This record gives sequence, structure tokens and C-alpha cells, in this order.
Amino acid sequence: MLLIPLLGIALGAAIGLLLPWEVPLTYKSYTALAILATVDAIFGGMRAELEGNFIFSKFIVSFFANALLAVGLAFFGYSIGIDIYLGAVVAFSIRIFNNLSLIREFLIIRYRQRGSEQ
Amino acid sequence: MSKHNWKIGVGLASMLLGMLLVFQFRTETNIKTYLPQFTTASELGIKWNRMQTDLNKKEEELKQLRQQLQEYNRDEEMKSLRMAAGVTPLRGPGVEITLTDVQRPLKSYEDPNLFIVHYDQLELLVNELWAAGAEAIAVNGVRLVVQTGFSCAGTTILVGTRKLAPPYVIRAIGDAATLKAALTIPGGFIDSQIRPFELGIKIEIKDSLYLPPYKGSSVFNYAEVVPEEPVETTVADGEGEAEAVDAVESWEGTGEGEVF
Repeated sequence: MLLIPLLGIALGAAIGLLLPWEVPLTYKSYTALAILATVDAIFGGMRAELEGNFIFSKFIVSFFANALLAVGLAFFGYSIGIDIYLGAVVAFSIRIFNNLSLIREFLIIRYRQRGSEQ
Repeated sequence: MSKHNWKIGVGLASMLLGMLLVFQFRTETNIKTYLPQFTTASELGIKWNRMQTDLNKKEEELKQLRQQLQEYNRDEEMKSLRMAAGVTPLRGPGVEITLTDVQRPLKSYEDPNLFIVHYDQLELLVNELWAAGAEAIAVNGVRLVVQTGFSCAGTTILVGTRKLAPPYVIRAIGDAATLKAALTIPGGFIDSQIRPFELGIKIEIKDSLYLPPYKGSSVFNYAEVVPEEPVETTVADGEGEAEAVDAVESWEGTGEGEVF
């Protein structure tokens, strides 16, 4: 269950280390948001899978929609001088914690079921 | 296949996450290497404040320099320097002094050497005039500049590089009354240098005197201009230097001679 994201992160990091790119200074906070969005998507996908209603297209669309909305908000906030991106950060964080707690519950329930089955 | 859908999706997202993390980490490390000394916003703020103050100071300085530049008149400075160097003809009020050798026939026992104008008398006269505030002096049409010296050359007097013969006509621009008084003061130049030798002297106050420019060469083969260095100056009293500065300033200020 947890192996897939961990393997993915390791593989991505390896590819990233091989690539010479880095984030331009100006877009630093946007990538921070993108990172949050991906973390949110990973946990959201895991939770959906555990609940049994994972739909690939929905996953991809919601991931990009969330990321774009967050980045757009941040950009809008920058242009009018208000830190709206903080709102996106908070929203993503809350979602991540919610998803994490749900995943935890599922995993605990599954573990108990297995224990009782045995 | 649909069972593994989530693996693909989450795996792709995780890969993206890993790459983004690496890129972000790289940027962050670069920032910390480039700006190692400023880590917090407040430190940056302090630095910014300091720089702002510096900037304000520099701008003030720049403004002052611009003002100076605006006020600086090249022609004016050039004119006063040329006047000081004696390379311009000048006209102004002053005195015209005519020195002549003794007029009467000498008796056989009298040493004729005593009754002619000597170079040291001329030099004393010129010194007296400078001390009395003369702005420019010419002897027989030879303008006196900083390098001019007086020396004896037989029956003539060498002023700078020019041989002069009597009568000596000294023209000095300045406050005529002061210049005349400096010479005629009891026990002064006339009493000590002219009367005993029965030399002829005539002091005329002129409203307008013409002084020719210095005609010699001023070639500097050995000297070169360097930045000013501190030099120990031995003065008789503490105010000596200050007075000298005042004198220069007053010389610039009066400017009775006119360049034309």
C-alpha cells in the first residue's frame, strides 16, 4: 500500500537528480504549492482506492484542476498584493490531514478484520 | 487493469512529487549559498533599512555634488588662475613708481657705485609692494611672476631673464593709497633705501594702469603634479597659516585688476 508512493518518490527523485533543472527564484512559491497539490493528490488517490471508488480520469482531472486553481490563486494574490496562496496552502493541508486520518482508519480497520479473521 | 489504475495514478503523482522536491531543494540550496548571511526576513529588513539610509546619504551627496558642479564655473576659475599666474594682461588702479639713479654730478671722492639703483633695492621695493597688498607688479614692462628673481648684471639689473636699465618704472595694481603709504612710511623704504643715496623716486597714483602679461616660458621638465601630501610647516605663530589662507582669499575677493 505505502510502497507505491515511496517507490514513486524515489524514482522521481532519481530522475530529478539526473536532470539539470532547478526552479527559478520567482516561481519558488508556485512550486511549493504544486508540491502540496501532488501530496494532496497522492493521499486522495490512496484514500479513494481504499474506499474502492478510485477513477483514474477523475484523479488526473482533479489533480490538475486543484494545482492550477492553487497556482492561479497564488498568482492573483501576488498581483494584488495579498497572500492568497496561504489560503491554498491551508486548504491543501486540511485535505491532506483529512485524507491521512481516513487512510489510517481504513488501515486500522483492515488490520483488525484480518486479525479477527485469523 | 482497473485494479491497478490507482497504482499508475499515485505512482505518477509520486514521481512528480519527487522531481519537484528535488528541484525545489536545489533552488533553496542555491539561495542559501548565495545569501548565507541573511536567513530571516527581519535580518533582511535591517539590512534593507541600512542600505536605504546609505542610499539616502549618497543621494544627498550626489545632490550636493551636482549643485557644486552647477555652481562651478570653469571660465571663472580659469580666469582667476590665469590672473594669479600672470599670463594675462591686467588693468586696474595703482601706483607707478619711477626709480632713477642720482641726478647731480658726483664729487670726485664719492663712490658712484653707491649712487645707482641696485637690484636689492628693487627687490626690497617689490617686496614692500607685495606686502602692502599689490595684486600685480611689472618692472619696466616685465611682469613679475612666481619664478621671477632679481639679480645684478653689471650696470644693469636682471629681472627674471630680462636685462633692465634705469630709469626703472614699477607699476603695481592695488589700493594706491596703501601702496604709497607702505613706501613713504617714516623709516620705511624711501627713508632707508632712497634718501641716503640721493636716488630719484617718483610715486604717482594712477586710476588705470596697464600691466603686460608674463612673456617667458613656463616649462616644467622635472616637476610633476601629485596629490597633496601633509607637510610640516614651521610658522612663527599659530595663526601664520590661517593668515596666509586669509590673504589668498582676500586676494581672490578684491580683484581690483581686470582682465581684458
